[in-house]
Amino acid sequence: MYSRSNNPARPHVNWAIRLMVLPALLLGAPAHADKLPELPKLSEIRLPKLPEMPKLPHNLQIHGFASQGWLKSSDNNNVFGPSSSSSGSFDFREIGLNASMRPLTNLQFSVQGLSRTAGNGSPGNIRLDYGFIDYTFSNRENSQLGIRLGRMKNPLGFYNDTRDVPFTRPSILLPQSIYFDRTRKLAIAADGVHLYGEYRSDYGDVSFQAGVVRPLVRGDEAEAAVFGVLLPGHLAPEISYVSRVNYELEGGRVRLGISATQLNMSYSPAPGVTQDLQAGSFHFVPLVFSAQYNAERWSLTSEYAIRYLENKNLAPIKDQSYAGESYYFQGVYRFTPEWEGIVRYDAYFADRDDHNGTIWAATDAGRRTGRPAHSRFAKDITVGLRWNITSQFMLRAEYHHVNGTGWLSALDNHDSSHPPAQHWDLFSILGSYRF
Amino acid sequence: MTIKIKIRRLILFVCLLFSMTPAIAIAGATEPYEVITHPGINEKSLPRSTLRAIFGMRLHTWPDGTGIKVFVMPDEAPLHAVFSKEKLNVFPYQLRAAWDRLVFSGTGQAPETVTSPEEMLAKVAGTPGAIGYLTKSRMDGRVNVLQIK
Repeated sequence: MYSRSNNPARPHVNWAIRLMVLPALLLGAPAHADKLPELPKLSEIRLPKLPEMPKLPHNLQIHGFASQGWLKSSDNNNVFGPSSSSSGSFDFREIGLNASMRPLTNLQFSVQGLSRTAGNGSPGNIRLDYGFIDYTFSNRENSQLGIRLGRMKNPLGFYNDTRDVPFTRPSILLPQSIYFDRTRKLAIAADGVHLYGEYRSDYGDVSFQAGVVRPLVRGDEAEAAVFGVLLPGHLAPEISYVSRVNYELEGGRVRLGISATQLNMSYSPAPGVTQDLQAGSFHFVPLVFSAQYNAERWSLTSEYAIRYLENKNLAPIKDQSYAGESYYFQGVYRFTPEWEGIVRYDAYFADRDDHNGTIWAATDAGRRTGRPAHSRFAKDITVGLRWNITSQFMLRAEYHHVNGTGWLSALDNHDSSHPPAQHWDLFSILGSYRF
Repeated sequence: MTIKIKIRRLILFVCLLFSMTPAIAIAGATEPYEVITHPGINEKSLPRSTLRAIFGMRLHTWPDGTGIKVFVMPDEAPLHAVFSKEKLNVFPYQLRAAWDRLVFSGTGQAPETVTSPEEMLAKVAGTPGAIGYLTKSRMDGRVNVLQIK
């Protein structure tokens, strides 16, 4: 019953099925592999001059990080490579290098190159993670306004901006319900313009970012991720919108945020191909609500996300619109500055009106995929430890017990004769260095 | 992975949670210290929220247009922890997290870290627009003192 259906006589049905799983795949376009021409230059600069050296010109700063993880999971459930094999998976590496320069007090240039290896979805290509000009046109004692131009990280929740930097994450794996890995490529960054601002007062600081951008969806890999197959036509990014408003009380004792994003894409069929879809569009609208309380020894964090998905005019696929839902509760306790522990409950639902997936599994489309109801949700209990060996080197270990396979990558779990199990466990260790 | 390993992990974690003596090393009584600036800075006092924006690396210029240059001690330095809590009312881990968010999203820069009181004095005295903090016994007339309202 778990075998995938690939009946060539029913391509329309297959497309329909693929659209049903679209919310899970939508942000998971494989690497938009922009080669980064600047990177060799950066490393040339880095080698002779360490970042701690004060006399870099024009306030130039160079920072970077490198991490290596190991994952071991139960059953056939693979996370980042063959983690369910007897030796686990070392297929999880993150390496980044950035430079920023502030030639004037109100002007900054920033660029970061990133190589991320994480199973079949991220093969480790060097990409331009961000690269932009930041100009602050109003800078007062209690407020500022500015503009950014180029490729910026999308402001989405607490963690998207720095999601590939292990030191900035609360755990080895970010809460997958909201920051699921399959969705990273579309969500992570976009080209365009951002306006940002901040107002500070005794009653707290309010800051915002709002942008008009073009998401990174060009190329076969993006198409394969959105449709599940390569189609004759062409998937293109359309004008999209990102925004986030944050409120911080007492310097971040309380942090609240709302992120609203609308990612738009269009599909153009290939001329003269009868088996193609008609011209149409996709709209993906995630809303994320974020809250955090920071005490001296502990921090509580929770985020709730609702993801609206809509497709229009892609005949023979029917027009449809529905919503996925995610949330997590997370507690971090700092035993000492060197040791901290984390506990988290994290839940993902592909369809907010079908939390256990049974309605979907009973539909023709659901049956056709051969996937069980538990592929439509994931409930993850995580405990973990972080050890800051020095300020530059960190070791982490964590354990997940998961009910459901909702955020498992299809690319790492494609063997239909060994389908992933509903209840499974994951253990992971990660070492990370930064400068 | 078997249930046994799972249970072992949980037990390990629970043991760690309850057995470790919380011992965050914050010196209760430190020597008197001051927020200091380069002698060219005219400001004599600042509100706490402004000081927080400066050390949070979100405010980049003094009112006269001079660029602000922030100097801090390492995260684990006792004076850094006391300064963060008393003057900014934040914890050192929050500052580090805020700086990391800026540095690794490209939207800001990190402050410059000095390794000794002597270096703090030399850097703040010798860098136009500089701000830092220092124990009174280490200070001399080369830097200004900034009061926090």
